[in-house]
Amino acid sequence: MKKGLIKATDAFERIVHWNLAISCLILCITGLGMMFHSFNFIGTLMGGLKSLKYVHNFTGLWFLVSLYFAIRMWWKEAGVFSMPEDLEWIKVAGGYLWHVDKVPEVGKYNPGQKMFFLAVAIFGSLMVVTGLIMWFPLLFPPGLVRLMYMLHALGFAVIFPFFFVHLYLGTIGSPGSLSAMTTGWVTRAWLKKQHGKWLKEMEEKGELVVFGEEEKGSTSHH
Amino acid sequence: MTEYIKLIDVSKCTGCRGCQLACKQWNGLPAKQTVNYGTYQNPPDLQANTWTLIRFSEIADKDRVKWIFRKDGCMHCTDAACVKVCPSGALYHTDVGTVAVNTEKCIGCKECISACPFDIPRYDKATDKIYKCDLCYSRIKADLIPACAKACPTGAVTFGEKQVMLKKAHARAKELGGEASVYGDKFVGGTHVVYVLEEKPRVYGLPSKPSVPATIVIWKDILKPLSLIAAGGVIAGSLLHYIIHGPKLPDENNDKVGKGGE
Repeated sequence: MKKGLIKATDAFERIVHWNLAISCLILCITGLGMMFHSFNFIGTLMGGLKSLKYVHNFTGLWFLVSLYFAIRMWWKEAGVFSMPEDLEWIKVAGGYLWHVDKVPEVGKYNPGQKMFFLAVAIFGSLMVVTGLIMWFPLLFPPGLVRLMYMLHALGFAVIFPFFFVHLYLGTIGSPGSLSAMTTGWVTRAWLKKQHGKWLKEMEEKGELVVFGEEEKGSTSHH
Repeated sequence: MTEYIKLIDVSKCTGCRGCQLACKQWNGLPAKQTVNYGTYQNPPDLQANTWTLIRFSEIADKDRVKWIFRKDGCMHCTDAACVKVCPSGALYHTDVGTVAVNTEKCIGCKECISACPFDIPRYDKATDKIYKCDLCYSRIKADLIPACAKACPTGAVTFGEKQVMLKKAHARAKELGGEASVYGDKFVGGTHVVYVLEEKPRVYGLPSKPSVPATIVIWKDILKPLSLIAAGGVIAGSLLHYIIHGPKLPDENNDKVGKGGE
């Protein structure tokens, strides 16, 4: 770790993030194996499509637990928009799509991230509820079960493309972002550019944890 | 492809249940202990090991009671909802137009059970698979007629080439007159089991306008391709964004620590 890096996330946040990410990825891959006959071979890799079904179902429970912690942890920070600055940011699309002289400064999460979080929270919950009913279809009326299949497919049609947006903006689309979810330390330059308001807030409150300066002890004081 | 259909003329059915037994015999499906609950309909419903069943019902008709019989079982739809939803390809269309099950491939997901407009597939807990009539595909391939048709003593169940049988069905319905109608050739792309009914379909517990449920059409024909198209669009969009607009970089040199976080 270099001197001067700033702590953006704590270990708990990163653990929840990766549990959610990995379980979601496994669900997408195994789900594709059941959704398209041309992807049935993914089941072969797991010892048959039936095994794949079980991997999918039980990973769903892992996803459920991860999602619960993610929503509980991030709801206050990422689930609520702070007007009017979020609206201003949305009007210029955060400077991502066209040239903007001055992108409004945002806090810990920008409106794009908030929308992504809400999509994961809402459609993730939808996937869990519909998925559980699909797991035990004989306990429910067929009409309801059919609706669940449709909504499960709808959730996938939303989450799967979103996943790639997230992947792009978390890596090459916004260099410097990835370390927030790996080591948890980011550069001041990145923080100033991406979450200027948050940087100011932390500075004002004296909450800023800078690597190498006044080692306040642990890197995870959750 | 020569399509074959099974014609069930309910007006000729005496409710002997010979077809039920013949089905069990040919397909090696032992009966299970059952209970008398006040009707000849036995077992009470289709089961994982009962692929065809005579349904008995009593309907009030002026001053008397009509006792009617209907041989229930897979309708072998051309536009089969079960085949559409089956994730493993266990349910498939045979070369004679019928719908068969490859039990080896079945993963017990039960999607076909909620999809079927006729409530046919049955799940067996012991094997974690679904079962239903395959219109005796093994017999058809050996130039034999299905076991139920073979066993039927009255000619209520017959089997033959699609066009020939449909012509026979319409002629019979005309002959019977009244409410009599042909059931099966006008929906889900035409079924490969066709009834000649003496009463309205509802009376026999049949849906009057069966179809592949709308939720399944939306799921399979719209959302399924849309999910891949959207994902592909996003990947292409991200790539274009990277080479046209470029990534969002921190403003350089306003910080002693360079780009440590990449």
